[in-house]
Amino acid sequence: MPNKLKLNLITPQAQLLKDQEVDIVVLPALLGEMGILPGHIPVLVQLTYGELRYKQNGQESDFAVMGGFVEVKDDVVNVFAEGADLADEIDEEAESQKIKKAKDALSRKDADIDFELAEIELKQAITRMKVKQRKLG
Amino acid sequence: MESLRDIRQNIKAIKSTQQIMQTMKMISNARIRKAQDAMTAARPFATKMLEMVSDLTPEVLALPQPEDGRERWASRLFINHSADPNKIGLLVITADKGLTGSFNAVILRAAMRFIKEHEGQEIFVFAIGKKGRDFLSRLRLNNLHIVYESVGIFPKVSYAHAELLGEAVLKVFLEEQLASVTLIYNDFKSLASQHLVEQPILPFSPHAAHEKVIDREFSFEPGLLEIFKLMVPRLVKANMYRVLLESQAANLAATTSAMDAASKNAGEIADALGLKLNKVRQAGITNEILDIVNGAEALTN
Repeated sequence: MPNKLKLNLITPQAQLLKDQEVDIVVLPALLGEMGILPGHIPVLVQLTYGELRYKQNGQESDFAVMGGFVEVKDDVVNVFAEGADLADEIDEEAESQKIKKAKDALSRKDADIDFELAEIELKQAITRMKVKQRKLG
Repeated sequence: MESLRDIRQNIKAIKSTQQIMQTMKMISNARIRKAQDAMTAARPFATKMLEMVSDLTPEVLALPQPEDGRERWASRLFINHSADPNKIGLLVITADKGLTGSFNAVILRAAMRFIKEHEGQEIFVFAIGKKGRDFLSRLRLNNLHIVYESVGIFPKVSYAHAELLGEAVLKVFLEEQLASVTLIYNDFKSLASQHLVEQPILPFSPHAAHEKVIDREFSFEPGLLEIFKLMVPRLVKANMYRVLLESQAANLAATTSAMDAASKNAGEIADALGLKLNKVRQAGITNEILDIVNGAEALTN
């Protein structure tokens, strides 16, 4: 049995990780966190907004992911996320401003398209904040 | 005959127009690179999603379909039991602005033909881009309903736009029970050429999916049908995103080459006018000399 997983992280905008050899992946599955180790049975998992962690050579990395799917087969983990941000690159200041802006837009409730966008943005910003804060301690 | 001043003014006007066109060319040229990068980056997601959905399609179709309607939702995206054959959808993606050669005209011609071919049917239109929206709403046809429009998104297409569009298309498709949705747009082929694509995007046909027998034993969390139901909209959105990016890049490429041709043409016209200017000036001088010579001759006689 191989003792490494191959991790791909793909979003509509870009392929963020390609064939990364990792030891463990922890996913924000719809029904709770789910850990994937090498030798896992093939599975297709739906993701929710949350944190994706993986360990590579003892080093842990985190991404904030915005829902999507994960396909696990033959020790390859393909993550299809609606959006993903590396925790280290999340700017708390910017995110809290986004949250504020989105909340403002939501409280006004005039144009409906802006409303939908704001809702998505708010959800994403909150997720990023949470991931960042967990990472910091 | 035109006076020298008129011609000079004309040349000046043409040269300044040429300058504007050259600038426009340079701007779209600079943007193309970015648009192309975005396009390449978006490709893996769309292709992998399609692969996954295609893999799952036979399994989903093999599931017993309960008759309570709710569950049939998933399969309706493929084979459409209850669709109304008189209702179809049309998604047209054009640019917001002109000055792009035949970019918009080609799309609108194809759209027009499509509308003529389906004269007796109710057509639900999704219009992206100002040109297409304006054109289609000006037609004022009774069987044409513009149900979604989005203008001003180029050249800054984001996934959020694709998401809204995809949601709208799926919503109308299900609520109005459309028999099909056809997409007309310009595909980015190379910097020098775009080509018109007219393709049905919904319902998915299981035949289009590669018919691979799946032998792997997947387990699903939460369940196959639940996942599949969410996957299809996502695939549609990923596809919308890809298509929007393609149009964006194609449009920029078209603008670049149109502006290039136009500024070349302007240069030629300016050259021709320069020749004309010289001729007119020369003719004037010749006339003056003739006058002088004639005058002198008259005196000696």
